[in-house]
Amino acid sequence: MVDIDRVGGVLMRIKLVLILILVFSSTALADYRETFEKEFVNKPWVGSKVVEEGVCVDCHTSDVMKPDYLGIPQEWKMSIHYENKVSCHDCHGGNPSDSAVSCGTPHSGFVGIPKYKEVPKMCGKCHIGILKQFNDSKHGKALMTSGRGPNCVTCHGSHKIQKANMNIINKVRCTRCHSYKRAKIMKQALFMTEKRISDINHSIRQLRSSGASTEKAKKMLFRTEAGFRTLFHSVDVSLVKGRTAGFSRKLDVIEGMIADIYKEIRFRKNFSAFLFLLFASLAISAYFIQKNNKN
Amino acid sequence: MFERTRQWIEVRLGIKEIIDSGLREFYLPRGAGFSSTLGAVALVAFLIQAISGIFLLMYYIPDTAHAFMSVRIIMNKVPYGWLFRSIHMMGSNIILAVLFLHLVVTFYRISYKKPRELTWISGAIMFFLIILFCISGSLLSWNQLSYWSTTIVTYIPTLIPGIGGRIAEFIRGGQYVSGSTLNRFFAFHVAFLPFTLVCMAAFHLFFIGRTGFSTNPGSSPEGDSEPQSVYKREINANGMPFYPDYLLKALVLVMVYLASIFFIMTFFPGLFQPELATVQADPAMTPDVIRPPWYFLAPYQIVKLIPNKFLGISAILILVFIFVFWPFIDGVNERNISKRPLLRVIFILSITVWLILTVWGGY
Repeated sequence: MVDIDRVGGVLMRIKLVLILILVFSSTALADYRETFEKEFVNKPWVGSKVVEEGVCVDCHTSDVMKPDYLGIPQEWKMSIHYENKVSCHDCHGGNPSDSAVSCGTPHSGFVGIPKYKEVPKMCGKCHIGILKQFNDSKHGKALMTSGRGPNCVTCHGSHKIQKANMNIINKVRCTRCHSYKRAKIMKQALFMTEKRISDINHSIRQLRSSGASTEKAKKMLFRTEAGFRTLFHSVDVSLVKGRTAGFSRKLDVIEGMIADIYKEIRFRKNFSAFLFLLFASLAISAYFIQKNNKN
Repeated sequence: MFERTRQWIEVRLGIKEIIDSGLREFYLPRGAGFSSTLGAVALVAFLIQAISGIFLLMYYIPDTAHAFMSVRIIMNKVPYGWLFRSIHMMGSNIILAVLFLHLVVTFYRISYKKPRELTWISGAIMFFLIILFCISGSLLSWNQLSYWSTTIVTYIPTLIPGIGGRIAEFIRGGQYVSGSTLNRFFAFHVAFLPFTLVCMAAFHLFFIGRTGFSTNPGSSPEGDSEPQSVYKREINANGMPFYPDYLLKALVLVMVYLASIFFIMTFFPGLFQPELATVQADPAMTPDVIRPPWYFLAPYQIVKLIPNKFLGISAILILVFIFVFWPFIDGVNERNISKRPLLRVIFILSITVWLILTVWGGY
């Protein structure tokens, strides 16, 4: 007969030793974790959109690429375009699903580095309203007539493009071409509206992270913000001042929507708090009832 | 009129007799405290999940194009939809904590010893079923957090040599987490798992009914430390009646359970809903940090730490096996843990290591 108690004791010791070996002996190999994560993240989990980028990114990170162009994928990954899934071919054309040899040829519509004057046209494929305002502005006219005015890249950069904000208008950037005086007046005219947009954006982000439905307010803000950004490019102070009231009214409506969402969240919080107090009281009451019952 | 109706029902159903024989005359051992009611709390918690889940089912659409939006509609448009969804979501996490406590108490009291081995095994299986409930349920909201958590969780079976890839593919319904995975998880979550869990819970309750409640042998020895070759139910004639004493105790903890849900909903509404959970699932956008759900962090960390995939997955499977069949592995008859220092070390060590791995896995 097998002595079950003895077998049980031996098995228990084996279990303890197994756990100790498996858990603790391997902790020394810390770099394995990095290898694991790298391998995991590099698995082909990702969908078609990023796979498409493979052709562009593959070349621009390979040894055959000119050193100046090697950092482009990294810069793009830090940009607002990457965040919004705007890929290389959206600006540069070409066929990203084609082979690495033919994807960047002119016949596939690929434009590597556009001519200086052609840059606004390239950006304007998507930023249509802004292109119009820019072309009508002093900046645009100077670029078109003399070819020496600023283009989009002058202020926004090329691949590491960030979400536009008021800080783009600054003394260092503007005084590269002219005095800061007019730019400063322009900045002051834009300031209040810009601040309100920024505050609303912050509120929407906050509400969104709490699971509230902000789609309607977000869409409306997007349209208002886009219109306001278009105004930036006119470089016309009187036009900005004249249209600020219109934007202000739209922002009032969005702020009203946000106030309603906050009100709903406050209601939910208060309702949950009420239920918490109700059940906490019931727990206390039930505790005393069972205590009396025992007595 | 009321009395006549009551009598009419009583004659036909015999409810009084059922209450008397099944509840009033079902005694628990003396000294059974609140910790003995954790199983009942888990049962009520499951019922709450089932009821709130049925309400969600009325509006939820199991399709990748609509799943995320339907959850947002439940949260923001359906009257009090936010309440049912929040209860369901918070409850799915707190129920695990209740089950974990129930397991810890049962282990500490060594209540799994004969004749309760099958009660332990059915309980352990139910614990895994609830984890599967949580995993399958989290994907249904089709957000970035749930999508990538599922990607990790379904990656773990691929570590099994040979058949691992096929198992993962079967679970996902393809190579990646996709619409097929959502449909599978949905069917699993609302049809297969509830049925299986109810069956297992019925077994669990049947075993408890047959063998009687177990209590801390330190405070109230039951005498079942002796080898038992014939069936003997614990009568506990001088013990505590199930109704109303036990049920009142259970009621206290059920109220505490509900209060905990609403406490978290009031003060920490985002505790189980980080920002990533508010963004629609996007297979093309890998988040910077991907982590499995908190209850899966420890096994995930084990797989990461062990420098061999086969060893890693083997370690998890061995631990699961040991956990489920522990009553047969622990062959010592002594039921008082204070007289078993080695078991106490294993108990404390297991919990500590698990907690460390969970916290570690979160970083």
